[in-house]
Amino acid sequence: MKKKNGSPFIGGDALASIGASFISIIIGLVFGFLFLFLLSLINSGGESFSTIISNAWKYGFKQILMGGFYLPPISIGQEIAAAAPLILTGLSVGFAFKTGLFNIGAAGQYTLGAFGALFFAIVLKLPWWACLIGATLFGAFWGAIPGIFKAYLNIHEVITSIMFNWIGLYAVNTIMYGGGAGVMYDSSKTKVWDLRSLFPASVIPNLGLTTFFKNRSTTIAIFLAIIIAIIIYIIIDKTTFGYELKATGYNKSAARYAGISEKKNIVLSMVIAGALAGFGAGLYYLSGIAEWKPLDSTALPAIGFNGIAVALLASSNPIGTIFSALFISHITTGGSLMNSQYFPPEIADIISGIIIYLCAFSLLFKQLLMKRSSQKRSAELVESTLKEPPHIDSLVPETDIPESGMAAGEEDDD
Amino acid sequence: MLLAKYTLLYSVVLMLVALGGAFTEHSGVINIALEGTMTIGGLVGVIALVVLPPGTPTVTIIIVSVLAAGIAGILYTSLLAFASVNLKADQTIGGTALNLLATALAVVIVRRFNAGTQSAKLTYNNEPFLIDIGGLTVSVFLFIGVTLLIFAIIVMYKTRFGLRLRACGEHPHAADSVGVNVSKMRWWGVLISGFLGGIGGFAYIVPAVQTWNFEVGVAGMGFLALAVMIFGQWKPGRIFFAAMFFAVFKSMANIADSTFLAALEWPKEIYNMMPFIASMVILAFTSKKSRAPKAEGIPYDKSGR
Amino acid sequence: MAEADYIIEMLNITKDFPGVRANDNITLQLKKGEIHALLGENGAGKSTLMSVLFGLYQADEGVIKKNGEVVNISNPNDANDLHIGMVHQHFMLVECFSVLDNIILGVEPTKAGLLQENEGRQKVIELSEKYGLHVEPDALIEDISVGMQQRVEILKMLYRDNEILIFDEPTAVLTPQEIDELMEIMRGFTREGKSILFITHKLQEIMDVSDRVTVLRRGKCIGTVNTADTTVEELSSMMVGRPVSFAVEKSDRKPGDVILDVEGVTVSSRLHKNNAVKDVSFNVRQGEIVCLAGIEGNGQDELVYALTGLEKQSDGKITLCGQDISKSSIRQRSVDGMSHIPADRHKFGLILDYTLEQNMVLERYWEPRFQRNGFIKFDAVRDYSDKLIEQYDVRSGQGSTTVVRSMSGGNQQKAIVAREIDKDPELLVAVQPTRGLDVGAIEYIHKQLVAQRDDGKAVLLVSLELDEVMNVSDRILVMYEGEIVGEFDPKKTTVDELGLYMAGAKRNIAKKGAEVR
Repeated sequence: MKKKNGSPFIGGDALASIGASFISIIIGLVFGFLFLFLLSLINSGGESFSTIISNAWKYGFKQILMGGFYLPPISIGQEIAAAAPLILTGLSVGFAFKTGLFNIGAAGQYTLGAFGALFFAIVLKLPWWACLIGATLFGAFWGAIPGIFKAYLNIHEVITSIMFNWIGLYAVNTIMYGGGAGVMYDSSKTKVWDLRSLFPASVIPNLGLTTFFKNRSTTIAIFLAIIIAIIIYIIIDKTTFGYELKATGYNKSAARYAGISEKKNIVLSMVIAGALAGFGAGLYYLSGIAEWKPLDSTALPAIGFNGIAVALLASSNPIGTIFSALFISHITTGGSLMNSQYFPPEIADIISGIIIYLCAFSLLFKQLLMKRSSQKRSAELVESTLKEPPHIDSLVPETDIPESGMAAGEEDDD
Repeated sequence: MLLAKYTLLYSVVLMLVALGGAFTEHSGVINIALEGTMTIGGLVGVIALVVLPPGTPTVTIIIVSVLAAGIAGILYTSLLAFASVNLKADQTIGGTALNLLATALAVVIVRRFNAGTQSAKLTYNNEPFLIDIGGLTVSVFLFIGVTLLIFAIIVMYKTRFGLRLRACGEHPHAADSVGVNVSKMRWWGVLISGFLGGIGGFAYIVPAVQTWNFEVGVAGMGFLALAVMIFGQWKPGRIFFAAMFFAVFKSMANIADSTFLAALEWPKEIYNMMPFIASMVILAFTSKKSRAPKAEGIPYDKSGR
Repeated sequence: MAEADYIIEMLNITKDFPGVRANDNITLQLKKGEIHALLGENGAGKSTLMSVLFGLYQADEGVIKKNGEVVNISNPNDANDLHIGMVHQHFMLVECFSVLDNIILGVEPTKAGLLQENEGRQKVIELSEKYGLHVEPDALIEDISVGMQQRVEILKMLYRDNEILIFDEPTAVLTPQEIDELMEIMRGFTREGKSILFITHKLQEIMDVSDRVTVLRRGKCIGTVNTADTTVEELSSMMVGRPVSFAVEKSDRKPGDVILDVEGVTVSSRLHKNNAVKDVSFNVRQGEIVCLAGIEGNGQDELVYALTGLEKQSDGKITLCGQDISKSSIRQRSVDGMSHIPADRHKFGLILDYTLEQNMVLERYWEPRFQRNGFIKFDAVRDYSDKLIEQYDVRSGQGSTTVVRSMSGGNQQKAIVAREIDKDPELLVAVQPTRGLDVGAIEYIHKQLVAQRDDGKAVLLVSLELDEVMNVSDRILVMYEGEIVGEFDPKKTTVDELGLYMAGAKRNIAKKGAEVR
């Protein structure tokens, strides 16, 4: 009597989705402030209550709320620069969601993309646009792996992706480090060769944005990211390929019935998701200020996981992803600007994590919102969706038995 | 034999956490948040360890810190239980959120602890946990682990609780129709994994080294434990053997410098990769015959009769 | 009747679900020692009402009394305490548990928390012998037959000393002979003083075994009658609200060329080691409706999956209009002239989260008519969908842009029928096309099937409803345990005879593929 659905994080009633996202954001921020308040409390040495609150505000929360606008124009530039790759990882996760897949491997694909970008720049000495292509290809390759495991061996993509996240990280570090003598490695600075000074042609052009924002990290990357988002939107909504992907995500069995090749679409979807993440890494690592330290990179790039928050907030809508990425970048930039004496920048990660947690039951918020409005019928729709609840495939394959006649989900209330 | 030491160490960790995962999944909830639970449990256990005054008897140290780790795990996973059972949220996403939160939380807390420095590391004395048996250093967790394993087998298959728990994961409507409270059972299932996961995290961090950098969380052990659980087909006995098997691979990284493997002159990272590669290979071969609890991952709703 | 004679009374029960009032002020009274039937079509509210009695749902209004006293049943435990038990339509059995574990679940004998299985086994064996319900206590549910599974459900009730027994559509999965046995068991229970509530939509069964009947229609109680005082026609009239003609209008027609030829097809089963379909051969010709009849689970579904391409056959050949399609893809078969109305419309037939127009082009979105260079031609899709909606009277909230999930079952099925028939297929495969629909929709779909046949197309119908089988088809093939065991002309056979074949008691086709034309 199993009832399964494709992923619900694919929109639905647009207004209610946005509303639900806002609720998640606001609750997340509230918790963030409470955290800061707590830390401020712990820090305090008998100061008055109002001082504690104002400390939490002055040294922490204000920065988070203002984000890049705290120290314009430099920090605005930083915010925009940080948003660009985040848009891409958000697109990566969101695109996979459309096909009913959870791409938790964006971090690993991002890592491989970084490697691709740097390899093409340093070793092959190619111009920036070729390096971007290199990054994309490496990301696509790493994305294909969980896709293939899922399509042909029926192993859940979450497990495969996580395993390969770590495999990718270790592999990339090893190759880059090369035992201290790696071709890409500058042992005097214990990091990868600096692009800006040595390989300027590989750095993404900035068309004057650098001077405008008075910092070196802002390039045309943001425009490239927006263009990609629009392209993805067109693919998903306007093409037959998008139709097939969504069909597979909503209802695998019906997609098969319709003659859609499920396996091909799963692999293709993951390849594209990986490509997007790889491209994002290219945007970041070819911007001239980013550096990779093989010996220090013991953790997976957080941007891969923030992409999950971005995708969920946007309900996997590509255009919405642009805005949710800007938002997450906003609070992350703000986090880095907090007074680090008092507050560690990880606070932004905590807010991000809380938002993801809240998004997990965003359907509930949606339903509450719709019940209040006059859209009662849609609310019932959502409620009936709640009964066949939001769900991405269970971790382990079910035997693919087409269920016979006494199937569930049919009877109108008897 | 260093290999034996590390293998035992890691196998206990994997086994404990995988057992916890098995309890949860048998009740019908997917628990991806094992990684995060281990981190939080390990953190709290270590803090307890650091905070206990010197001169406390060894037994007290062990009991207090282990319990602290377990209880922290319970509290943390109650977030997952609440979201999955009461709010019927997507369990994979909820679990992922908790993993991300855990690492961030851990770093923030440790930095606060090390007020002044920016360090995310904690240093502690792990001697109370190590026992010398005829030249082989064994951690006390081995005994804790085996005891819990036996307990788990009895509870899962010989008690009323275990029967009802498993029914909730296989056919919650059937359980409901005979009066079993599915929500309550699932809460139990999740909290048990919190307890075991928390202890598992503590058991991972403490015996091997005296300093731990919490920025890495538990470096993927929680996910390896998931693979152990699947490979062990959710059965405690098989999980025990699966844990041993995976632990061997994990140990190789630790002994690379000092044994025959050093002669191969492979970079250290290869050993770090090995457990993950081994997992994938094993999963690739066994996935066809895998049989998970039938109703796992699907929030239970009464009216979906 | 004096109140004390009623062991259970459900008075003025009202139960709402979002958007629908499942039970509307229903009153049902059960006498001690009687078999009381609850009759109604799908969607009438019978199962909801019984779920309220069993504590799975709570009524929004109304009161339940036992032996004249008001009781509160908020969960199955309460129902159990009142000695009310239920055999569900979809068995509530844990498949990987043993028979014994399923029976004792929830009332396990324990000592200090540890299960005492032997004690339980003893009691089960005693009950089993007393009532003649043969089961194997240590067998796993997934390994035993459907008939035995039902006996396990019944034993669950007896183990708990239930006195009021609710049977929800118990006969759907049984052969006619097993049905007779079940009825005898039920009579045995009442002789002992137990009382039975028996949900069904099958009129003949009601006449055979019940003492009184309560009829529900669209959530309301139409009335309660003594079975002895009524007829099948009257009951049916109460059930649907108007006199129902059981016959389907059909002129005689001579079939033409062979459209579908199935030779020696064998399909393996995912569930057990035996084959689901064993060396089956038959054909369907132009202008005829061939029906595969049989109890559910005898290979019909697997055969259809092999024909449509959803599963691979392990042996045999399938030919459509002279072309070998044995290895063709699903899409290729569709292009070659096969349409499929699937049994499970939610799983295979529709993408519930897509709009009506997106579902209408589900199998055709790739045609040049609907796309160019990979970009969807939205106008073309809209026009096509609007046309089908009009032609086939598919009703929905917002027309082509309606999300299919919000449509009623009947209209969803109409949409599928519209889509499949409009493809103008040479062969239409329709599997249980009228399941779960109201009478109006059923009539409509039967009309469409006959129209196809009159148009010279071939129709392969798979059905579990013997009425439908007898009235709609031109030729009947009975399947039993993966083989075709009988071929019949509906005009020359009876339901009883079909029943014998469906139960495997007889066969008129020699084994290994030889056909009787």
